[in-house]
Amino acid sequence: MLSKKSAMLAAMAAMAAGALALSACGGGSDDAGSGEAGGLDLVSEGSLTVCSDIPYPPFEYEENGEYTGFDMDLMKEIASGMGLELAVQDVGFDGLQSGAVLGARQCDIGASAVTITEERKANLAFSDPYYDSLQSILVPTDSDIASIDDLAGKQVGVQQGTTGATYAAENAPEAELVQFPSDAEMYAAIQAGNVDALLQDLPVNIGHTEDGAFTIAEELPTDEQYGFIMAKDGSEELVAAVNEQLTALRDSGTYQEIYDSYFAE
Amino acid sequence: MKRSTRRRLIQGVLYAVFAAVVLFIILSADWATIQPYFFNVDIAADVFPEILTIAAKNTVIYTAIAFVGGLLLGLLLALMKLSPVLPYRWLATGYIELFRGLPALLVIFGFAYAIPIAFQWRPPGGNAGAGLIALIIVSAAYIAETIRAGIEAVPKGQVEAARSLGMNSAWTMLTVVLPQAFRIITPPLTNELVILIKDTSLLFIAGMAIGDRELTTFARDALTNQANATPLVVAALLYLVITLPLTQLVAKLERHNKRGR
Repeated sequence: MLSKKSAMLAAMAAMAAGALALSACGGGSDDAGSGEAGGLDLVSEGSLTVCSDIPYPPFEYEENGEYTGFDMDLMKEIASGMGLELAVQDVGFDGLQSGAVLGARQCDIGASAVTITEERKANLAFSDPYYDSLQSILVPTDSDIASIDDLAGKQVGVQQGTTGATYAAENAPEAELVQFPSDAEMYAAIQAGNVDALLQDLPVNIGHTEDGAFTIAEELPTDEQYGFIMAKDGSEELVAAVNEQLTALRDSGTYQEIYDSYFAE
Repeated sequence: MKRSTRRRLIQGVLYAVFAAVVLFIILSADWATIQPYFFNVDIAADVFPEILTIAAKNTVIYTAIAFVGGLLLGLLLALMKLSPVLPYRWLATGYIELFRGLPALLVIFGFAYAIPIAFQWRPPGGNAGAGLIALIIVSAAYIAETIRAGIEAVPKGQVEAARSLGMNSAWTMLTVVLPQAFRIITPPLTNELVILIKDTSLLFIAGMAIGDRELTTFARDALTNQANATPLVVAALLYLVITLPLTQLVAKLERHNKRGR
């Protein structure tokens, strides 16, 4: 008797699971969005949730328990201009560039010194450009490397998958490129003598010249610009709102103030 | 109800529950959203030849080097730990406790950066070489304990029999004890090998030249270039392509050994 009952229970459980499965296919994505602010479909109501790969000074880093830096300051202004709180999440660069953090609705926007490229545009929506990036070569002060032409045959550290790595591959084809996950390892590598030079974004390299052991051998102009990234689909209104704020910040002079506080020489 | 009927009924229900759960997971996933981020066929085709000829190849080579190195060093450590000479035992115990207790990532970082700074000496093979030395050192700590357990599991009578035949202790260890010990520890050694295959993915922290990239580094690189996570999925499949036949092979070997015993 008891065993019959348990068999029936099991059968009912199976049917319930089946029914659940059937009902689930009707569900889908329409219950995903929660917050609505001025027609924006935000991850969390009342907040602009920003994903960034921290630290990457001077664009994003932690100071006194708070995230700060050029990107973060701009995001603060943009969020407050939209009447939203700013919520920052520290994520890996992989998740950002693949668009996965945006697709998974972990955040609304990515602010992480992301260079605008055609390949990335295929899978991500970009804001208007907010920063013109220069590449640069960092070498030990006593190095005989003076320009990009001297990199032939040298070990050159680049950050994995960045435009700096692409630039180095195209413009210093004779150099032996060594890829590192982030600036932290690159800086350790040049200190350890594992590489002869670093090729990456200028502001980051400038940060390494402060104690006098390293110097910028050459600044390399590129036509690269940074943009904030958003989901490829369904973010048209957010992109428009962010661009509107960026324009307002440039018009009011706030952009220049923030820019000078990080990059003025 | 007959007992056999009831058993068949219960089995049928269990199958139905299993099928329903699988169906539920498949149907409830948001395939339309996940597809462009993780399962982009064009991007998979784009990375495929290189990820196989460069990255998967390097992963296999790195694993082989780390495993053979770890096995030799591990054997030495195991014998030291069983040695009657106390300082050897202390040394082996200290080594094992240290490197079993540290994350492999930190040991790799130490060998790639701290050691060159401290001793003005760079390990052979560049950054990949430094990372591999670290992997050998870490895996040896685990393998040593496995081998020691294997040696201790060989019945004492085997040693006594060999010694009474006039063999010296080294020859006994080499020809009688160790072959049996390795037969006993085949499953945990396979485990260690599979863990090593995955641990090669930590080498990225040391910095990688273009041709040296293993599966994970290669896939992350492709991810950034393509702005898509599909290369990670391709790498995941390739890890399985490497590990699954390997574990099958070892299982076969194990069955063969059992029959031979």
